[in-house]
Amino acid sequence: MSTEKPLKAAFFDLDGTLLSCNLVTTYAYYARNDRSLLKSAYQFVKVLINVPVFFGLDLYSRTLFNVFFFRAYKGMHRDRLIGLADDLFEVTLRRSIYAGSRALLEETRAQGYRNVLVTGALDFTIRPIDLHFGFDEIICNHLEFRNHVATGRVLPPLVAETGKAAIIRTYASQEGIDLESSCAFSDSTSDIPMLKVTGHPVATNPTRRLRKFALRQGWPVITLRDRGPGSSGYFPPFLRNPLATDQSG
Amino acid sequence: MIELTSWRYDPVRGEYGDADTQPEPPAGDISAVDQFRSKTVLLLGGTGFVGKVLLSMVLDRFPELKHLVVQVRRRRNMSGEERFRSEILGSPPLRSVVDRIGVDGILDRTSVVEGDLSFPMCGLGDETLARLKAEVDVVINSAGLVEFDPPLGESMITNVYGIRNLIDLVHALDARLVHVSTCYVAGKKSGRIPEDTPIVGYYPNRSGPDDMSFDVGRELAWCEEFIRETADKIAERDGGMERADHWGWMNTYTYTKSMGEQLIAATPGLRYAIVRPAIVESSMEFPFPGWNEGMTTSAPLVLMGGEGVKAWPVRKDGPLEIIPVDLIAAGILVVTAARLADRSRPVYHLATASENPVMLPRLVGFLGTNARYKHKHKKDGNRLANMWKAYIETEVVSVGKLDASRKRVRWGLDFLQAAFSFLKVILGARIMNPYLKSLRITRRQIRQQEQTLDKFLPFMIHNSFIFETGNIRQAYGMLTREDHQRLAWKPEEIDWADYWVNVHTKGIEKWIRPMFAREVRAADHG
Repeated sequence: MSTEKPLKAAFFDLDGTLLSCNLVTTYAYYARNDRSLLKSAYQFVKVLINVPVFFGLDLYSRTLFNVFFFRAYKGMHRDRLIGLADDLFEVTLRRSIYAGSRALLEETRAQGYRNVLVTGALDFTIRPIDLHFGFDEIICNHLEFRNHVATGRVLPPLVAETGKAAIIRTYASQEGIDLESSCAFSDSTSDIPMLKVTGHPVATNPTRRLRKFALRQGWPVITLRDRGPGSSGYFPPFLRNPLATDQSG
Repeated sequence: MIELTSWRYDPVRGEYGDADTQPEPPAGDISAVDQFRSKTVLLLGGTGFVGKVLLSMVLDRFPELKHLVVQVRRRRNMSGEERFRSEILGSPPLRSVVDRIGVDGILDRTSVVEGDLSFPMCGLGDETLARLKAEVDVVINSAGLVEFDPPLGESMITNVYGIRNLIDLVHALDARLVHVSTCYVAGKKSGRIPEDTPIVGYYPNRSGPDDMSFDVGRELAWCEEFIRETADKIAERDGGMERADHWGWMNTYTYTKSMGEQLIAATPGLRYAIVRPAIVESSMEFPFPGWNEGMTTSAPLVLMGGEGVKAWPVRKDGPLEIIPVDLIAAGILVVTAARLADRSRPVYHLATASENPVMLPRLVGFLGTNARYKHKHKKDGNRLANMWKAYIETEVVSVGKLDASRKRVRWGLDFLQAAFSFLKVILGARIMNPYLKSLRITRRQIRQQEQTLDKFLPFMIHNSFIFETGNIRQAYGMLTREDHQRLAWKPEEIDWADYWVNVHTKGIEKWIRPMFAREVRAADHG
């Protein structure tokens, strides 16, 4: 029998949970920063036309949305995706980070959770976000490339919906993490499987559907969106009282 | 349950592969650890860019190192020992080592001797020589004057006469020699450059091994007479470049460096190995990502790209032979271990393009994305100009097109000059002088950019090099697995996009831009 305290982790979704961007805004950035103004304009119009399609697909199935969505990257050069990632962060991502996000991450870290980001976003866009927050681990999607050019496919396993739950389970068993004492944060119903995997799911800036669901399940609901930095009043109960989760000590 | 595969980007093929299937490189029976445990190293040029990283790496990776002697030149009122403490131990690349083992810990394993390559026996006294003779097993020389076009005499002092003194010293110490030269001694060539071309009698335009037109002795005599007859420094500078060009070298630096190599190779009985780095750039990981202090790297180009230069005359199908400084340091240590075991080859290229080339148009693309980023977030300067520089992409151009556009810019500036001068007559000097002044500054900036670019043209468009690196690969394969844990020769693992964007460019902005800005300010006041 191990006398060591089991490892616990806090699993975070990104888009909508820690910041207000989504995959489409990220892609739209790359589209409007193509090599020439003309190409940028053309790409951007393409995005605009596609938005209703993306929106509809997203309502129907997140997984299908992902498969369809990443096809838009086909033909983009990896150098450019990496080369513009910092600008993407400054232009769109940084300002969309919720006021309370950092405080929450600091709190979970302080209470001994390993901070794990589990997101459908792409690796190169995560890099500056990671520099900003400093996660312990990142599980995200990777585009497939051939000769440095995106093929429009994503490397398996696709990080989305039920896939996220399975990935978290695998990760936990590999790393010896006790899921029952771990927690998960997300904003949308598509992440319910991911939330359910851990002992402490938290609806974070939830959509109306997730809020309803969370209230029925008795999950805590928190909002990071409009909270001033430094204040710590709105954390979920189990974080406010470390003894509540600290079962071994 | 889903299999969590660890994907790993293969930068050579440009696609992801499974990280678990990476084969380990072959290993052999030479133990660098044992070599350094039992042998003493004398390092020359420890204050340089490569020298400091090399020193830091030896101390960091080989705690069992027997002893390291560092030769430092005295400078005005600063002794070698003082310079060692302030300029070496106090410098950023040594910081982590100093923090870990402390200054005293380092001084336990190192000692400093004052000396100077330009004096006989490198300026070491008899007593020091006697002491070092009993100790030193190998001399690593990373000292050299890296300026491309100094007056010929200045270049010769370190790169040629210095080598003569160095050879005497190595003989007197009965030691082995690892000499750091440069890949570009090959001169104006294109294509794959082998490592086994005979060194003595080499010149780039040589027709074959029977062509004996170049002889270091005769050449030195020519240089000495030329320098004696030339009083003017500028003429001496131009003369050096012309002489280099006459034989087929691209500049005075590579010409004198080649002569230094030839002196070494022509010395009978000398146990030597020549290490030839390509263009040395920011560190990838060690001592920390992005360390850089070299101005003779691609730094001027990166800075120019950051300023918004759009037209780049480069080869569409050619690589730029750049290599991170930590790979150079590791490579020199690998060669040193092989030399100590007396199983080295004469020449080692330390370069990347033969295994993992980064093509020039990709670099032009990186300069473009960096300019976009910088000018979008630039707070000062003309807003319209910033927008232009942010949204107009860099492009690869031919030399002809570049010349044409330069001419157009010059006409435009001439026109403005004439217009401003005319207005000065009408409106008065008080109103027009500020405009004329800013025009002068613009002209100077453009001229400087043109000069910098011209200096790099031999590497970007006139020639296209791929330096063969079979020898260092072979030497690395002779080291043990334990050594491989400490020293990595893995150019095939450099992810150029990540390296250039996230490491190299940021390193240059952090370490070189301030240095460069100081120089420009000094020039403005001078």
